[in-house]
Amino acid sequence: MAIQQADKLLKKHKDLHCAKVLKAIGLQRTGKQDEAFSLAQEVATLEPTDDNSLQALTILYREMHHPELVTKLYEAAVKKVPLSEEYHSHLFMAYARVGEYKKMQQAGMALYKIVPKNPYYFWSVMSLVMQAISAQDEKLAQTMFLPLAERMVEKMVKEEKIEAEAEVQLYFMILERLGKCVEALDVVRGPLGEKLTSELRSRENKCMMMYQRLQLWPECNALSYKLLLKNPDDWQFYLSYFDSLFHLMDKSWSQPEEGEHCVEGPVQTTVAEAVKFVVDRMEEQDKKESRPLRGPYLACLELIHRLRQRGCPDEKELGDPLELMVQFFGKFGDKPCCITDLKIYLHLLPPEQRSQLVPLGEAGEDGFGFPGDTKALQRHLCVCQLSRALGLQHALDTEGKLRLITELKAHYHHGLQFGKSCLKTELQFSDMYCLMAAHVYVDLWTETGDENMLWQCLSVLEEGLSFSPSNAQFKLLLLLLFCRLGAFQPVVDLYSSLDAKHVQHDTIGYLLTRYAGSLGQFAAASQSCNFSLRFFHSNQKDTSEYIIQAYKYGAFEKIPEFIAFRTRLNQSLHFAQVRTERMLLDLYTEADVTLSLEESVKAMGVCPEEDDIPWDNMRDNRDLTVLVSWDPKDRELTEEHRRLSLEEESVWLKVRSLTLRLLASLALLGHAPSPRNSDKTNENGISAKSSTLQTLLSQLDQTLETAVQITEKQTQYPFLGPPSSRLASALSSGSCHCQASGVAISNHLQEQCKGEVLEMKDGRLTTRPSLLETLVFFVETVCVVLWVASYSASVLRPLKSSLQKKKKKKKDSSSAMPVVLCGFQEWTGSLQGVVTQALDHVKGQEASLTALKLAALTLEEGYSQTQEECGFTRAAMDKVQSSYLGSLQELGDLLRKRADSLKSLKI
Amino acid sequence: MTTLRAFTFNFDICYNNYGIPFYLQYLAHWPEYFIVAEAPGGELMGYIMGKAEGSVAREEWHGHVTALSVAPEFRRLGLAAKLMEMLEEISERKGGFFVDLFVRVSNQVAVNMYKQLGYSVYRTVIEYYSASNGEPDEDAYDMRKALSRDTERKSIIPIPHPVRPEDIE
Repeated sequence: MAIQQADKLLKKHKDLHCAKVLKAIGLQRTGKQDEAFSLAQEVATLEPTDDNSLQALTILYREMHHPELVTKLYEAAVKKVPLSEEYHSHLFMAYARVGEYKKMQQAGMALYKIVPKNPYYFWSVMSLVMQAISAQDEKLAQTMFLPLAERMVEKMVKEEKIEAEAEVQLYFMILERLGKCVEALDVVRGPLGEKLTSELRSRENKCMMMYQRLQLWPECNALSYKLLLKNPDDWQFYLSYFDSLFHLMDKSWSQPEEGEHCVEGPVQTTVAEAVKFVVDRMEEQDKKESRPLRGPYLACLELIHRLRQRGCPDEKELGDPLELMVQFFGKFGDKPCCITDLKIYLHLLPPEQRSQLVPLGEAGEDGFGFPGDTKALQRHLCVCQLSRALGLQHALDTEGKLRLITELKAHYHHGLQFGKSCLKTELQFSDMYCLMAAHVYVDLWTETGDENMLWQCLSVLEEGLSFSPSNAQFKLLLLLLFCRLGAFQPVVDLYSSLDAKHVQHDTIGYLLTRYAGSLGQFAAASQSCNFSLRFFHSNQKDTSEYIIQAYKYGAFEKIPEFIAFRTRLNQSLHFAQVRTERMLLDLYTEADVTLSLEESVKAMGVCPEEDDIPWDNMRDNRDLTVLVSWDPKDRELTEEHRRLSLEEESVWLKVRSLTLRLLASLALLGHAPSPRNSDKTNENGISAKSSTLQTLLSQLDQTLETAVQITEKQTQYPFLGPPSSRLASALSSGSCHCQASGVAISNHLQEQCKGEVLEMKDGRLTTRPSLLETLVFFVETVCVVLWVASYSASVLRPLKSSLQKKKKKKKDSSSAMPVVLCGFQEWTGSLQGVVTQALDHVKGQEASLTALKLAALTLEEGYSQTQEECGFTRAAMDKVQSSYLGSLQELGDLLRKRADSLKSLKI
Repeated sequence: MTTLRAFTFNFDICYNNYGIPFYLQYLAHWPEYFIVAEAPGGELMGYIMGKAEGSVAREEWHGHVTALSVAPEFRRLGLAAKLMEMLEEISERKGGFFVDLFVRVSNQVAVNMYKQLGYSVYRTVIEYYSASNGEPDEDAYDMRKALSRDTERKSIIPIPHPVRPEDIE
């Protein structure tokens, strides 16, 4: 429609630029990219100066991801209309969109010269700061860009032209980055600082920052003290108060004889003063009629913690940590955050006291009695959480743990009555009991290896979810357990009901993408990669527009933040993973023989020589603590775990990305097969290609060596922490080396695939999810080998035909077929055998899985569950069974396709 | 016990109801109106996000609460009230006449909380919240609290007739 209208207009006015551009937009939106682009270029080369055309072209170029062309557009426009404020300002924004900081600096000044408005001047200054931030050479930033920016601002200060708060903020930013903290302090405290009014406590925050950097501990101490008197709940100032106090003590700082202590007021330098300060704050809260604040009570524990670290005996003045915690529990035990708060300080309790803390919570209730209202429930729950955090639950034997589970379940069921009127979107008050019971089941499963525990765990979580359908923690744990079981199908629904959005695609997307492909659910895998990729791609465009906005509104402090955020996403480990896996998946599932491999590689734009993964700056944005845990400190995820997990994932990513690039170079090699018997025809291009292949192969060999070393470490992560990478199973399946050498396929993989993925014995169910993973590697390997074979065939075919021609000419029957040809035929023959066997195997698995009648399991006996619970267990089992079946079907389909193309590999 | 700090645009957004562009827009324009609360263990407790808008001449210049969110485990600690108080103070400093917010008519818990904080229903906005899964659109209360600049508290005199979303500025 829009295109037609534009055409109508163009008939009347042949050269109406704007109509052309609008038509181009129409074309672009209907998917005619090339037509749209050339039409736009047609107008652009005429260098239009009418606002409509320019704006329309800007929109079009942005949508076509060519923001750099917008700069050309306005460069031409300002040349023709040199005094236009508007076009100059558009030019500045166009540069901002592509991050051309130097040109921004110039454009800002040019604007200021035309229209001497302050914002333009400071746009230019900010662009200098951005040049400093982005400079590779820190020296250049410190000696050139920032001093220049400083001088530019100083000039305005001297001329008394500073108007806005944003300008003072920028001045502060420059001085801070230059390390001129004294000067920065002078600005904040001086008359210019009076402009800092928008943000609450803006001046105080900036002063504090400078005091800390300058190690002006008296000022830091006095300011913290002052701010705490105003708001005794603001935690950051307790920290700066204690920090500064101990620094002052270490330096034996003493009060000056006369006058004020320091500009910020009285300074405290002794433990006695700090103790009194904290005790006073607590008493203040005790006396209050309204609800008490947590800050002072926790500050007390923090101070004990710090005094103990220093070996200072004065902690006794503050009281006994156990009593203080009991007191804290008395005040805040009915709040869900009580456990989060106390958990930090549990180490203050000596081991013999640890069990004492727990029964104290139950005071006021009769033995095992159930809580009468939600507050009592929350307090009891907090006690359970504490007992877990103190390691008391872990110390129980199997019997004890099972009893604990019974008790937790009873409390869970009892607590449901308080939430009868809860909306679907609200959580049940007793949900956490259910989750904790699941955690204890997991403990039992990992300790004993008894799979029954796992089935019952699934059951209890499924039950929990039925009463509390929006509980994300239930979903996350279910998701993790199904993944560990190798059943990916139920995970798809669970994840989508989590309604993960935006940045979560980066932070928790790994939960999905780690398992989808490796469990043979290729369609789902591809889809989950797409979710994440869509987010990453939109980020780039989005951020640029808001950087421009930040310039407009003078939110200069936000600009480096926005850019850092964008960089962090671009360097995300998960981003690189989904990028690579998505392409591999497409190749494995879509590309048949080398011809289609070549097409796919070209369409994806994979270049074997190019490595687009930021190996040295990889950011691990995964949220590895997204699953709630009340485990004691020694069982929690450590920094070392995080480091190892990232290392492992990076190496695995390297294996995958090298595989991808190898496949690409194989495809391009196949592009112009050269007869191997004539070296002369070996043109440079081709030998360059094969040398790329060589380089990549040796890199892959190296990476695999590293991989072996890593897997030998056999790192164990906490159950609720990161899943281990696919590295270990890939190596043990032998597929890595098989794919790497790409020539010989052994029955090795197949051997490993023997056995049933799901078995029922003596009325119990046994799973073997690793079989699926191995099978996936097998299928991937078949694909790789097939591509190699297909390439070989394309090389050998001309050789054979030329030999046959020779044969005909010479009529010499004695010249037999060269060994290589026979070898190839033999090889493809055996390959076919292997694939056929594998297909039979998959078929067999499918058949026995279908024949498996789970209904025959009498759960009531085998699992000692109630009838209701059995229902949930059975549901979980059905999900697993059908997921296995789905995986096997997808794998079988793929394998069958490959078997067909193998048949065509005759030479 | 809470650390209250300016929102630094990073991975803070975990209770994200909105897309990243939405947050970026607010941060680029009204960074001072974006405050997060953090627990001693580093957990994100909640955040508030708002803006200043309206004509000064018509005495409609005011602070607006766009989003207020407290994580479930940090509820019932008075955090929402604290964050609201901070937003009101910022609006006072900007010389606003009042602070306003929109809330689902059905969200009785929130409506009551705002009433306790001194807000009153100024008007009802019909079908302000578009529903997703086939359910009908929902009305909103436009709630207001006068700031000190509005000495006669003119800005909060209720409008008896409901208005449509397109009629509000």
